[in-house]
Amino acid sequence: MNSSLVLVLMFAGLLLLLLSGMPLAFVLSALAVVFTVLLWGTDALVLTVLQTFDAMTSDILLAIPLYVLMASVLQRSGIIEALYRAMELWFRRLPGGLAVGTVVICTIMAAMTGIVGAAVAAMGILALPSMLRRGYDQRLALGTICAGGTLGILIPPSIITIVYAATAQISVGKMFAAGIVPGLVLAGLYMAYIVIRVMLQPEKAPRQEARAIGWRERLGSLTSLILPSLIVLAVLGSIYAGIATPTEAAAVGVIGALVSAACQRELTVGNLKAAAMDTLRVTTMIMWITIGAKIFVSIFTGTGGADSLLQFIQDLEVNRWLVLLAMMLVLVFLGLFLDEIGIILLCVPVFLPIIHAFHFDPLWFGVLFLITAQMAYITPPFGYTLFYIKGVLPDGIGMDTVYRAIVPFLVLQLLALALFVLFPDLVTWLPERIVQPSQP
Amino acid sequence: MPVVLGYCRLVTAFNRWLAGAVSALAFVMVAVIGYEVVARYFFDAPTVWAMELSTLLFGPYFLLAGPYLLHTAGHVNVDILHARLPRRAAGWLDCLCHVLIALLAAVFIVQSLPVALNAFDSGETSFTAWNPPIWPVKALIPVAFLLLLLQAVAEAILAARRALAGEGSA
Amino acid sequence: EELPSVNWRMQALWDAGTTPYEYEKHFVQRVAELTNGKFQIRLFAGGQLAPSAQAFEAVRAGAFQMMKTFDGYEAGAIPAFAFTSTVPFGFPEPDQYEAWFYEKGGLDMAREAYAKAGLFYIAPTVYGQEPIHSKFPLRSLADLKGKKGRFVGLASTVMAAFGVATTGLPTAEVYQALEKGVIDFADRGDLTANLEAGLGEVAGYVVVPGFHQPTTATSYVANRAAYDSLPASYKAALEVAAREISASLRQHILAQDAVALKQFEAQGVKVIHLNPDMVAEGRATAMGAWRKAAGDDELANRVLDSQIAFMKELGLLD
Ligand code: NA
Ligand code: NA
Repeated sequence: MNSSLVLVLMFAGLLLLLLSGMPLAFVLSALAVVFTVLLWGTDALVLTVLQTFDAMTSDILLAIPLYVLMASVLQRSGIIEALYRAMELWFRRLPGGLAVGTVVICTIMAAMTGIVGAAVAAMGILALPSMLRRGYDQRLALGTICAGGTLGILIPPSIITIVYAATAQISVGKMFAAGIVPGLVLAGLYMAYIVIRVMLQPEKAPRQEARAIGWRERLGSLTSLILPSLIVLAVLGSIYAGIATPTEAAAVGVIGALVSAACQRELTVGNLKAAAMDTLRVTTMIMWITIGAKIFVSIFTGTGGADSLLQFIQDLEVNRWLVLLAMMLVLVFLGLFLDEIGIILLCVPVFLPIIHAFHFDPLWFGVLFLITAQMAYITPPFGYTLFYIKGVLPDGIGMDTVYRAIVPFLVLQLLALALFVLFPDLVTWLPERIVQPSQP
Repeated sequence: MPVVLGYCRLVTAFNRWLAGAVSALAFVMVAVIGYEVVARYFFDAPTVWAMELSTLLFGPYFLLAGPYLLHTAGHVNVDILHARLPRRAAGWLDCLCHVLIALLAAVFIVQSLPVALNAFDSGETSFTAWNPPIWPVKALIPVAFLLLLLQAVAEAILAARRALAGEGSA
Repeated sequence: EELPSVNWRMQALWDAGTTPYEYEKHFVQRVAELTNGKFQIRLFAGGQLAPSAQAFEAVRAGAFQMMKTFDGYEAGAIPAFAFTSTVPFGFPEPDQYEAWFYEKGGLDMAREAYAKAGLFYIAPTVYGQEPIHSKFPLRSLADLKGKKGRFVGLASTVMAAFGVATTGLPTAEVYQALEKGVIDFADRGDLTANLEAGLGEVAGYVVVPGFHQPTTATSYVANRAAYDSLPASYKAALEVAAREISASLRQHILAQDAVALKQFEAQGVKVIHLNPDMVAEGRATAMGAWRKAAGDDELANRVLDSQIAFMKELGLLD
């Protein structure tokens, strides 16, 4: 079977099976099983089990249950509701204030972890109920969390950045530094969009009671900031002071959340059990999808599904900017249905020689690459983030709502991509200044 | 019919109990990692086992909960077409999907058994400084997929019953 | 006589684009050349089909016909593999290690170990040391005491014997763990790979030779049934190409190491060249850990005894 045929059939198969309503986790592995048997025979089916075992022993993905548990404990103990109440009092005059506040929390979360599943599920549990309860538009709330949840890819620490750096043979530190400004720019774009959108359509984010709110009440609400801030401090502090690795810091966050819940006298057996079940449900959903995705990616790349596309790029003999554009398009297209690790393994070794040949900066290209990886997470129909968020949604909100919610944020990402292509200094300025060789 | 429904209830009850049991592992992982951080940073005495133990707990944690998640429709799907189908048709489609999942589970069982047996026969350990046996984790794969198969069959039966009764699930 | 066309799949040990991966490309090209293009091996990157540490089971089941692997991945199942991959404080020169394989029966013992799993060990690729990256000046074994280090496999046990508190962080976390001071020193990859990963930015010292991994052997391994069905000349082609790659990759790394060390120095990193006597001194202590790793496994003990005997002949052990 030739490469283009594999590509078309696997893509069409995904669409068709997904429409049947079969869960994504099983759609991915079922397709992989069918294609494995067709192309390589039954001997190769053992790959499904080996990928499963690999996901089961991932010391990196271990961060997912930890961050989800932290979020769930905070949510169940009412700490987050108090935080949103405070934001409400303080950001009353800011259109879409709670969504803007959510982007800020996402950015902080991004500085804690680079595991998108962890960030998105945690933010879904934390932020979504509080926004929906106040009559925020479902799509605005969902889009904010999905897009904000992927900021962790650009903002260090980030495993995807490390994988890119290793594959592209660039310093991890430089790649990390390169992601900071673009990550903040993206967060800024999201916030600007929310404010403008709500100014134009105030019904998307209703303001609370018009009564005058005294300073006493406002200042009083600030106490609700204390516990969440201490947790943020504990997690970020333990990462940046060298006390814990990013994965371990997630456990520090859970302990902080438990202590906070105890301070609120909400550390009850009922709350703990409920938080444990929330965490199990969300983690299991994400990890079974991860297993399916790993199997699917290994078969898709192994059977040469992307070969014809990559060959096309290699054979292009046109202007360097057109080549760059073509590479971006291929990345965005593959991002429609592959996960970012799969894309890195496939594309980076093919693209890097081209990048060097055309004298593009691999560091700068890396950031463009990471933004397209971020887009891969939120592009319908197979943006993994969209599935993760649906897993924490209240009943009655369907996948189509999620798909529509993300579109404006996708446009913003495209805008950002164009911005960094036109102004490469936004990317390269910081790494050139802060990464110095260490002196013994 | 009562026998069939009894089967569905039994399988679901067991998988529900199992999910409840493994849910507590999240707190165990937190405690183990928390211990490691304190031991390493404050006492300069990192353990050889903590990170590995929590990693070894992680797999069973989410793998064994998968079957019960099937019952609660917790595995995310795309509901766009499904929500627009007549109830009877949706019920039959559900039934078909669960049959497919059962077949898929069977493939995993057949493929994972030899891998688990090889690991057991050689008494496979992780070859780290702690060096715990690793075969139990591998052996859990066929177990989890057997439970998935049983649950998928139960769900297929329940979906067929809904379809026959003319009421679909959402 | 007309020889058949054979198509195999092989998974490499390393990511596409890395130097060792390029040498696997040479390998499959060489096999094709030696068989008039009749024996084609399609190469996949490390982890592309099966996770690298699981490739063993994949080849065993026939998902692909051969792999490049690191025996240490399976040392928990087959103890002899602890010594056919890399031995902390073991042979200091790759030529010595390769000589053990080809002159002292090592190849046959490696084949025996793999045969138990239905696999055929074709040949090793042997190369030199991997460095240690350190935040403190490591000049003697006494400096190790009380330090926190990242080591994996047998090396973690051996380092513990010198008073190191070892942790087995994932490769991806080494840079950050050094940067933030979670650990004091670490092993990761070869000098060039570590230079490119920017370890010079986070650790002020490069210590060579890395006594935790003075020499390394990676292995070409095939599915037994697939191998047995090959014509004799194809089998020979695999062995010839494998031995060629072993020499050419080793020489490439040797040359690159010198360049990488210069670049580390240009970054302001201090390079510490350890005295061979110091490494030799540690060898006796490490031997205790070797014995422990061999346990009561018959083959592992035979492998270890043969290596120790050769080390004595070479004057590396008393
Ligand atoms: Na991050
Ligand atoms: Na996508």
